[in-house]
Amino acid sequence: MENRPLEYDYTVAKMFMFTTVALGIVGMLIGVILAFQLAFPELNLVLGEGLAEYTNYSRLRPLHTDAVIFGFTLSGIWATWYYVGQRVLKVSMAESKFLMFIGKLHFALYLVGVVAVVASLFLGITTSKEYAEFEWPIDIAIVVVWVLFGVSIFGLIGIRREKSLYISVWYYIASFLGIAMLYLFNNMEIPTMLGANAAGESGFGNWWHSVSMYAGTNDALVEWWYGHNAVAFGFTVPIVAMIYYFLPKESGQAIYSYKLSLLSFWGLMFVYLWAGGHHLLYSTVPDWMQTMGSVFSVILILPSWGSAINMLLTMKGEWQQVAASPLIKFMVLGSTFYMFSTLEGPIQAIKSVNAIAHFTDWIVGHVHDGTLGWVGFMIMAALYHMAPRVFKREIYSKSLMVTQFWIQTLGVVLYFTSMWIAGITQGMMWRAHDEFGNLAYSFIDTVTVLHPYYTIRGVGGLLYLVGFLMFAYNIYKTMSARPVEESELQNASPMGA
Amino acid sequence: MNKLYLGGIIFTALMLLFTYMSVSGSEGGLNGDIVNMLAVAGAVALVIITVFVVTKYVRQMQTDTADGQLADEKWDGIGEYLNDLPMGWAILFFALIVWGMWYFVMGYPVNAYSQIGEYNEDSAAHNTKFETQYASITGDKLVEMGESVFLAECKVCHGINADGIDGKAANLNKRVEAKSVKHVVINGSNNKLLGMEMPMPDRNGLVNGATGAAITDAEIDAVSTFVANGMKGAGADVFANVCAACHGADGKGMDSVAPSIATFNPTLVANVLTHGKKGAIGEMPKFDRLNAKQKEAVGAYITNLSK
Amino acid sequence: MFHWLEKHPFFFAVGIFVTIAFAGLVEILPNFAQASRPVIGTTPYSTLELTGRHVYIKNSCNACHSQLVRPFKSETDRYGHYSLSGEYAYDRPFLWGSKRTGPDLMRVGNYRTTDWHENHMKNPASVVPGSIMPAYKWMFTNKADVETAYAEQLTVAQFFSVPYNKEVPMKDGSTKVVKMGASIAEANELALAEAKVIAANMKDQDVKDAVAKGEIPEIVALIAYMNSLK
Ligand code: HEC
Ligand code: HEC
Ligand code: HEC
Ligand code: HEM
Ligand code: HEM
Ligand SMILES: [Ca+2]
Ligand SMILES: [Ca+2]
Ligand SMILES: [Cu+2]
Repeated sequence: MENRPLEYDYTVAKMFMFTTVALGIVGMLIGVILAFQLAFPELNLVLGEGLAEYTNYSRLRPLHTDAVIFGFTLSGIWATWYYVGQRVLKVSMAESKFLMFIGKLHFALYLVGVVAVVASLFLGITTSKEYAEFEWPIDIAIVVVWVLFGVSIFGLIGIRREKSLYISVWYYIASFLGIAMLYLFNNMEIPTMLGANAAGESGFGNWWHSVSMYAGTNDALVEWWYGHNAVAFGFTVPIVAMIYYFLPKESGQAIYSYKLSLLSFWGLMFVYLWAGGHHLLYSTVPDWMQTMGSVFSVILILPSWGSAINMLLTMKGEWQQVAASPLIKFMVLGSTFYMFSTLEGPIQAIKSVNAIAHFTDWIVGHVHDGTLGWVGFMIMAALYHMAPRVFKREIYSKSLMVTQFWIQTLGVVLYFTSMWIAGITQGMMWRAHDEFGNLAYSFIDTVTVLHPYYTIRGVGGLLYLVGFLMFAYNIYKTMSARPVEESELQNASPMGA
Repeated sequence: MNKLYLGGIIFTALMLLFTYMSVSGSEGGLNGDIVNMLAVAGAVALVIITVFVVTKYVRQMQTDTADGQLADEKWDGIGEYLNDLPMGWAILFFALIVWGMWYFVMGYPVNAYSQIGEYNEDSAAHNTKFETQYASITGDKLVEMGESVFLAECKVCHGINADGIDGKAANLNKRVEAKSVKHVVINGSNNKLLGMEMPMPDRNGLVNGATGAAITDAEIDAVSTFVANGMKGAGADVFANVCAACHGADGKGMDSVAPSIATFNPTLVANVLTHGKKGAIGEMPKFDRLNAKQKEAVGAYITNLSK
Repeated sequence: MFHWLEKHPFFFAVGIFVTIAFAGLVEILPNFAQASRPVIGTTPYSTLELTGRHVYIKNSCNACHSQLVRPFKSETDRYGHYSLSGEYAYDRPFLWGSKRTGPDLMRVGNYRTTDWHENHMKNPASVVPGSIMPAYKWMFTNKADVETAYAEQLTVAQFFSVPYNKEVPMKDGSTKVVKMGASIAEANELALAEAKVIAANMKDQDVKDAVAKGEIPEIVALIAYMNSLK
């Protein structure tokens, strides 16, 4: 018994792989629609005047952000957890009926949550807080889903055979704890059904409506403490967990340095939380908090780069693999974009630079070189690595993967360069005074100049979406192909399954 | 030359070109604005540092080989070297932590920075600079300045050509439209057009000096067309008998009695900007945030339009 | 020590939690007590204004519009006085936004008017050529939800002592009382009274008719909110 390789059970991983792909398509399609709506406002009426209430830019924008964050990215995180977790802890989900049940329940409730979120955002039921739009009934569902994720993590850890936790597991744990804390505190709200008047009437109005526990500046402070760290524990920490597993695994290389892993991890944990103030520069929060946000943002470059450098150095001497394998290309370029956005962020966090960048498309550019180039690339790479092992079939087409890689890379580059120009242009135009000391431009002048850049961004986004559809097709063909014996797998990594 | 370096250089050059494009795209360019300069410096630094560092590591992928002592553990077959920290990284990390502590404990408090203080200094400098310039602006230059204010502040309501966008706001190319005159004569007006509380009576208070009776519907229509026509055509008699007492025989108004309804003048416009205006077309907000010179300038511009 | 932690998941997790929770406390707590005090002249939202604020949120106007004037000469020239913390004392949630696809609206009530908003919301590009803002035509027919706003007024008065029906000091030394209904019927009446003032300055006959009938279209509430932003 002991000598037979473990039979890992990927049932739950497969389920989340499915939602990763499906919600990725939905979220990015909406992103492309948004991008073109800003270039061509007639597209607010894509489905006609009658449905404009539901298809206009402002109704769709939260759907985009939430679909890609809570749909695509979270599903990706969970798909990889239910795959990586078993393997690095050396224990199979099949060994515990309880954990299997929790895993399936986790997925089922998640689906319910997705439906509730989509319906509520289409109807305009939102609290307006970015990345925390949901009203309290959905908050409760999300907390339950999150707790199930926690049970699954610690349950699996509890029955592990590998005593020492692998680096990826550190990051998954951090992700779980971070989001749990942030989400709870940012969503403290009082349902308005609790309000009662002297006439004894109560419970009227929309039952789901609530009012934030915090007001004004304090509300902003809590929201961006959350928002910034949602990026940390949603777009950074769990994605780093992925690369620490999939890159060495796929390439067969050992991690470059334990010490670097260690310092980067604890450095990131310590520094990240302090940097949230950079979303509130020049606002009404006290100067010292803003300064703290700026200072810690700059320090944050190093722990962020630490992980990226560790990954790049893991590939030392392995250029032939980078050249040959599209999968490794995704991961190496992903690390590069990670470095790019974690240098861009701190630069934008310097007060004087933020004076230009804040409120402009330069921030949107920063967001997407991170999410498209890093988060998107890593999640797709992870699924590509998992697919042959989970479905026990060859990847359908490697050349399709290569084409996809170049199309998407072009897409990301078009996206962030156009937003870079748009943001700096607009930021400077807002500030400009003419020779008489009057404002040089009315607001609309600073909007119409952006038209070409908005168009280019739309094209870049469309390329990325096309690449993603190629990815979906590739995965679909892989899973529906004729099963092969594991030993026949040609795309299997050097270390075997 | 190595393909990698070439690629790096091309990429850097492209990004610098894009940065240059954005700066020149804003027409004003850097504008001597320190904030603009820092932002551009940040963008340039970002590109150069990333390209430099990534090139360095890609070089190592191409030429170096992996080695070092392996740790005992393996996770799902993944090993781990016990290599030391990359020196540059470690030193920078340490240095930044020290800098951060220094900045927060010493640099920042000693500087006693306050963003509102900074704002006050900036606007004081801006104001002194332009107050000296304003003082000497007159004539065509003043009209030009007025146009710039108009295009930044007013065109969203009055339109680029000041034509009022199909009646959504006042057409400023002519003094007043028949619809507005009629509205004022019927309902009176109390918009502080003279800069002070001085209402015009409604139709019950407007008496035809010739007949001694209150103004009639027919007379209102006639006089409205007359005024809107630039004080020409039929209705001159009504104007002379009812309105001239206050607005003057030529409609150019009288100090402290009634405003000009034949032409615009800078004072009238300034009063509209100070108090706002509500009439037949809609409501015009007041513009507190414009200074006196700006109001004078835009007044000159508008007066010029209908000449 | 770290090797030990890596073998003891519980302590490992505690270690992470302490490391990350610490920063939050330092960052958030000190500001809590002081920043919620209103500056003089800041009043709670009236029933109709709050209803309009909900329309604003429902349609995510904050996706494109900020409500935060930063202390730069170029912004105070464009939008008016820079924002003060106490001005947001009754803002739950805050609506600062993080993207200015459209202009800041913190003080838009000072320099735009009812009839302009009416034209603009119906078709932005017809007033501002080249505008990329969507048209919000359905707001002219959708009915505003006054009851939810009223429930919120009651909630904030009860839980956060927002001073409804109390004297609030104004800048000129006078005081002002923002009324809140004692019953749903009264709340509806108060909102309707406000709506009539707005509708009188509007051109759309259907809207005027609706208000005359005692109904409040969303646009009327939204404009009441826009006008209150000063
Ligand atoms: C008793 C004096 C008086 C008489 C008589 C009078 N006006 Fe006026 N009129 C005023 C005053 C004062 C104002 C400025 C009111 C204000 O500040 O809104 C004014 C304003 C106006 C305006 C508004 C200008 C604008 O820019 O909107 C028009 C048009 C006008 N008068 C036309 C007439 C006509 C036509 C008649 C005769 C039928 C007339 N007035 C008779 C005193 C008078
Ligand atoms: C929010 C819209 C809006 C803005 C912004 C605006 N206006 Fe107006 N303005 C109006 C409307 C509406 C009227 C017509 C009021 C009426 O008589 O019914 C008007 C009337 C006027 C009048 C009076 C015309 C007359 O015949 O009496 C002047 C002068 C004027 N505007 C100048 C300006 C200037 C200068 C600016 C910019 C600094 C400006 N306006 C900005 C809406 C606006
Ligand atoms: C796609 C982005 C977008 C959305 C969504 C949007 N706006 Fe706008 N808004 C703009 C742009 C761009 C402008 C400037 C051009 C113009 O005035 O139309 C603007 C201008 C405005 C102005 C004029 C402000 C000024 O100073 O001129 C108001 C008021 C306004 N919007 C209100 C709203 C409201 C209320 C909503 C939501 C119901 C909304 N906007 C949704 C983009 C948007
Ligand atoms: C060292 C690391 C980073 C720092 C210091 C940093 C800093 C910043 C700054 C200063 C802003 C702009 C705030 C504003 O002016 O509005 C910002 C916005 C943002 N960043 Fe980063 N960033 C970092 C890494 C990342 C990464 C890796 C991602 C994603 C993969 C990311 C995603 C975002 C998002 C989504 C926003 C937009 C938030 C909003 O809605 O306003 N950031 N970041
Ligand atoms: C097909 C690719 C995509 C396109 C075309 C696209 C387009 C857009 C557009 C147009 C916006 C609004 C920007 C604005 O307010 O001006 C946006 C916002 C955003 N997108 Fe995407 N997107 C894409 C993919 C993604 C992915 C994959 C993610 C995350 C994994 C993502 C995360 C975000 C976030 C966090 C924001 C909010 C940024 C902010 O508020 O600053 N997007 N996107
Ligand atoms: Ca919530
Ligand atoms: Ca944002
Ligand atoms: Cu951040």
